[in-house]
Amino acid sequence: MKKRVLHFALTLGLVVILGFWIFTNIQNEFLSLAKTQQLRLVSAIAEAFPDRADTEPTPENVLEWLEKSVKNSGGGKVAYVNGVPAPLERVSALGDSSLVELLTALSSPFSLELAKGFDNVAYEETYRSAKDWELDNTSYALFFAPVVQKGEVVGALVAALDVSEENSFINLLLLLFGAAFAIIALVAYQVSFSRDVITGFAVLILFGISLVFVAYPLFESLRLSFYQDGQWTLDIWKTILMSRGYRSALQGSIELGVWTASCSTILGFIFAFVCARTNIRFKGFIAAMGTLPVISPPFSLTLSIILLFGNNGLFTRMGLMPFSIYGLPGLVLAQTIGMFPVAFLTLSGVLAAIDSTFEDAALNLSATRMKVFTSITLPLALPGFLSAWLLVFTISLADFANPLILAGNFRVLSLESYMEVTGMNRLGHGAALSMVLLVPTLTAFLVQRFWIARKSYVTVTGKPSGRITDLTTPGVRTVLVGIIALVIIFLISLYGTIIAGCFVKNWGIDYTFSLDNIFEAVTRGKDALFDTLALSLAATPIAGILAMVSALLFVRKTFYGKRLLEILMMTPFALPGTLVGISYVLAFSKAPLILVGTAAIIVINYTIRELPVGIEGGMAALRQIDPSIEEAATDLGADSATVFRTIVLPLIRPAFLSGLSYTFVRSMTAVSAVIFLISARWYHLTILIYNFSENLRFGLASVLSTVLIIIVFGVFGLMHLLVRRNDNLTKTIGA
Amino acid sequence: MHAKSVRLVNIVKTFKDPQSGQPVNAVNDVSFEIAPGDLVTLLGPSGCGKTTVLRMLSGFENPTSGHIYIGDSDVTDVPPNKRDTSMVFQSYGLFPHMNVSENVAYGLKLRNMAKDAIDEKVARFLEMVSLDKLAKRPPSRLSGGQQQRVALVRAMIVEPSVLLLDEPLSNLDALLREQMRVEIRRLQKSLSITAVYVTHDRVEAMSLSDKIIVMNAGKIAQIGTPSDIYRDPINSFVAGFVGKVAFFPCEVKEITSGSDNKICRVEIKGRFFDIPRWSPELKVSDSAVVMCRPESLLLSEPGTGIEDGTVSANVYLGNSVESWVKRKDASQSDILVQIDNPDVKKIWKEGEPVSLTFEPSLAKVLSA
Repeated sequence: MKKRVLHFALTLGLVVILGFWIFTNIQNEFLSLAKTQQLRLVSAIAEAFPDRADTEPTPENVLEWLEKSVKNSGGGKVAYVNGVPAPLERVSALGDSSLVELLTALSSPFSLELAKGFDNVAYEETYRSAKDWELDNTSYALFFAPVVQKGEVVGALVAALDVSEENSFINLLLLLFGAAFAIIALVAYQVSFSRDVITGFAVLILFGISLVFVAYPLFESLRLSFYQDGQWTLDIWKTILMSRGYRSALQGSIELGVWTASCSTILGFIFAFVCARTNIRFKGFIAAMGTLPVISPPFSLTLSIILLFGNNGLFTRMGLMPFSIYGLPGLVLAQTIGMFPVAFLTLSGVLAAIDSTFEDAALNLSATRMKVFTSITLPLALPGFLSAWLLVFTISLADFANPLILAGNFRVLSLESYMEVTGMNRLGHGAALSMVLLVPTLTAFLVQRFWIARKSYVTVTGKPSGRITDLTTPGVRTVLVGIIALVIIFLISLYGTIIAGCFVKNWGIDYTFSLDNIFEAVTRGKDALFDTLALSLAATPIAGILAMVSALLFVRKTFYGKRLLEILMMTPFALPGTLVGISYVLAFSKAPLILVGTAAIIVINYTIRELPVGIEGGMAALRQIDPSIEEAATDLGADSATVFRTIVLPLIRPAFLSGLSYTFVRSMTAVSAVIFLISARWYHLTILIYNFSENLRFGLASVLSTVLIIIVFGVFGLMHLLVRRNDNLTKTIGA
Repeated sequence: MHAKSVRLVNIVKTFKDPQSGQPVNAVNDVSFEIAPGDLVTLLGPSGCGKTTVLRMLSGFENPTSGHIYIGDSDVTDVPPNKRDTSMVFQSYGLFPHMNVSENVAYGLKLRNMAKDAIDEKVARFLEMVSLDKLAKRPPSRLSGGQQQRVALVRAMIVEPSVLLLDEPLSNLDALLREQMRVEIRRLQKSLSITAVYVTHDRVEAMSLSDKIIVMNAGKIAQIGTPSDIYRDPINSFVAGFVGKVAFFPCEVKEITSGSDNKICRVEIKGRFFDIPRWSPELKVSDSAVVMCRPESLLLSEPGTGIEDGTVSANVYLGNSVESWVKRKDASQSDILVQIDNPDVKKIWKEGEPVSLTFEPSLAKVLSA
C-alpha cells in the first residue's frame, strides 16, 4: 500500500513539474511574441509624430496625429505627454480622456511603473508596463514610446492596448493544462489504487462524457439566461415571464398539451380496451396500427395532413374545410394521431396487468357490465390513465416538428425559442424559454414518480389469466370498433397520401401522374440522406455500447458518485430537444470545445439524447440475470471488459439490439435539437423535408418522407426478426 | 497440482446497514489456517459471516482490515480475476448462452491454452463426472445434479490452488445431495486441491470435511476435526449446532488433571459422576451443565435416573430407535435418546414413564 502511495505521488509530482515547465514556456513565448508586436506598433505610431524641420508642431497637428493613431492602434487609447516628466513631477497629457485621467491618477503619488516608463523614454526605448489596468471594463497594458524630433526626445507617447484577448488565451491555456492534469491524476489514481481498473476507467469516461455533454451545456444555457451584454441580470427572465407575447406562448403550449393529452388518452384507451377486454378478431392488426405512428418519422403524418387539409389540400380545394387547419385544431389533430400510440402502449400494459378475475368476480356477483367497467376496471386503471395523460402531455409540450409546420399564428414555447435563436439571434432568450418548458415536464415527472406510483393498484401475480371476459355489450362494441375503424382508415389514408404525393406533378394544382419529383428529390436529397445515414450509423454503436456499459455499472457495481452519474446520464430524457439544441450551440461554439459545424456535435447529440432509453432497457435486462453468472466468469479469470464482452453483452442481446435500433431510428428522425446543429456540410434529411414543404414543394417532401418511412420500418422489422430468434435464451436466464 | 495453504489473519469486514446506515461487523477478527490439500468447512447459522469469509477469499469482497494469504503470498488486494481461486456458486452461475463444454472451457480459453489441449482436457474432466455425453447441451436442458457437476468441473478444470464452494448442494434433493457429497470429496482428493466449503448443514459438514470451522455472529466459535467438534465442543452453542444434545445442570465438585487420570467430578441431584472432558475455565463449586449426545443417553425405570419423563414418540430406523422423552418441565424441549441395536434392547413404549441416565465416559462438562 505504501509503495502504491509513493508511486502515485511520484507520478503526480513528475506530471506537475513537466506540466509547469511546458506551460511557462508556452506562456512566455506567446507573451513575448505579443509584446514584440505591440512594441513595434507603438514605436511606429510614435515615429509618425508630425515632424516639422523648422517649427514646433502646433497643437492642431498633435491632435490630428493622435486621432490617426487611435485608428492605427487597433482600438487602443493614446495620449501625448509633452516633454519627459521627471519622477514626482505632475504629468499633464493630451488625448483619450480616460487614459489621461489614469495618467494623472498615477502621477500622484508617482507610480513606479510611470517612472520606469518615462525613464525608458528618456533613453529612447519603448516600454511595456509590467501590470495591466482596468479601463471601461477591459484590461489594458500601458506602453511608453519616445517621440523624437531632430534626434532629441521631445515627448512621450502613452498608448493603452487591449490585452484582454491575451489574458483569455492564457486562461484558456491554464484551463487546458488544468483539465489535462486532472485527467492524468484520475487515471494515475485508478491505475495505482483501483482493484478493478477497467471499471474505474469506464466510470471516469462516463463521468467525463456526462459532465462535458450534459452538465456543461445546461449550465451554459442557465448562465446565459442570466447574462446579457457582459453583465449579470434578471432582465431576460423578467422579459420572458412578464411579456404578453411569451406568456401567450406558454399558455398556447399548455392548451395544446391538455387537448392532445386528453384526446390521445381517450383514443389510446379505446384501442387498449378493445385489445385487452373484448373478443373481437384482428386484434394484432389493431395493435400494429395503434403503434405504427409512434415510429413514423416526424413531418410525414403532418405533411399528409397538409396535403389533405392545407391551403391547397385535397379537401380544402373541394371546399370541405370549414376552418383553417393551421393553428390549434390542426396541431391537436396531428399530435393526437402521432402520440395516441404512447397512451395506447401505456394503457394496454396497465390493462394487461389487471387480473380479469376481478371483473369475473364482479360479474359473478350479478353486476351489469357497465357497472363492472365503472366500479372495477376504471378505478383500477386510473393511475395508468393519469400516467398516460402526463406522458403525452410532456411529449406534446416538447414537440417541435408539428408546430414548425402547422402552428400558423398559434404560438407555442418550443417554436418560440427556436425563433428567438434563429430569427432574432437572442440565444439567452431562447435558452430561457426552453427552460420554462422544463417546469411542466419536471412537474409531470414528479407527479408520476411520487404520487401515481404510490396509488398504483396493479399487482403482478405472475399467473396469466388465460381467458378474458368480454366486457362490452354488442352495441357498445360496435361503437368502439367503429371509432377504431375510422382512426385506422384515416391513418392508412394519411400514409397513402404521402405515397400518392410522390407520383403527382404538383399537389393541389396539377394531379397528373409524374416521376419528376422522384428524380428531383433523389438528386437534391441524396447528400442529406447520406449525411443522415452516416451520422446515425456512427451514433448507433456508440450509444448502444455506452448504454449497456452504463447499465452494467448502475446495476452491478458500486462506486462513489453512482447516484449523481445516474441522474446526469438520465437527464437528457426529460429535456426538450430545443433546450438541448440551444445548449449545445451555446456551449460548443467557443473554446475550449468548438464543435458546432462538425459532424461530431451531431453524433454526440444523437448519442446523449438516446442513451437514457437504452440504459433503461439494459438495466431491466440485467436485473433479470443472476449476478453469480458474471461472478463465475470473473472468478475464472475474466477482467471486467472480458466479462462484458463474453457474458453480459450476449445475455442482454435483445436489449442491446433494441437499444441500437431505437438510437438509429430516433437519430434518423431527429428534428428538434438537430435543427440547431446542422451546417452546410452536414445536413439532415428531416430538415430538408421541412424546407421542401415550407417552399410548397410537397412532392419532394413526400418522396423523402417515404424514403425515411421505408428505412425506419425496415430497421424495426429487422430488429424484430433478430430478437425473436433470441427468445429461447432470454427465457432461461432467470433460472 | 500444487495444493497451497490458506491463511486468514485478523480479518474484519464491516458493512453499512442499509436501513440505519450504521456500520455492522459481519466478520469480526477472524484468523485461521488451512493446510494444503485439506477440505475445510465453514459451518454456522445463516448470517454468521461464513459466506462473507468465502467471498473475501475469492476476492469479491474486500476485508475492512486484516490479511489473506494463499501459500506465501498476500492476496488481500488481488482482484478475483487475478486470484488463484475458483468458486462453485450456490446457484451454479452457468453461462446460459454456452453449452456444457463451452462453459467448462471458458476458464481455459482465458488462460490462452491451445485449442486442442482445451478440447482434450475438457473431455477428460467431463468424463470424470460422467457428463461426456451431454457436452453439447445448453445448461437449461440439464437436471439440477448435472448442472451442479458442470459448475464443479468448470471450477476445477483451471486447477486453482484453492477451490471455494458456497452451499453448492442446497438446491438439490436429499438423495442427490448425498451422491454429490461423495463426488466432491472424491474429486477434491484426487486432484488434491485445497478446498473451503460453506454450509449450514451439519451432516454435510461432518461427512465431507477434514476440519470444521464453526462460526457464530461473525466470530469463530471452534476449529477442529468433525469428531473433535462433535465429542468435544467448546461451548453449548457448538454442541447444539453440530448435533442433537441434552444438557443437565450440575455442580463441579472436584477436578483432577493428572497426566493419566483426568477427571471432573460433578454432582447432579445428589449423585456423583466422573466425566473425562470438561471446559478448562471451570473451577470447583461452579455450576455447570453436562452435555450428552443421544447415543450416550440411557433409559431406565422411573426414579432410577437423574431425571424422569415420559416417552413421547419412538422413531424406528432399523439400526437404531430414536426415543423422544418429554421432560417434567414442559417448557424445556424434548430429549432425544438413541438406542442402537434395538432388536436386543428394551424399547419403552410411547406414553410410558421413564428415567434418564448417561454414560459418563462419552459426556462433557460445559460452563452453564
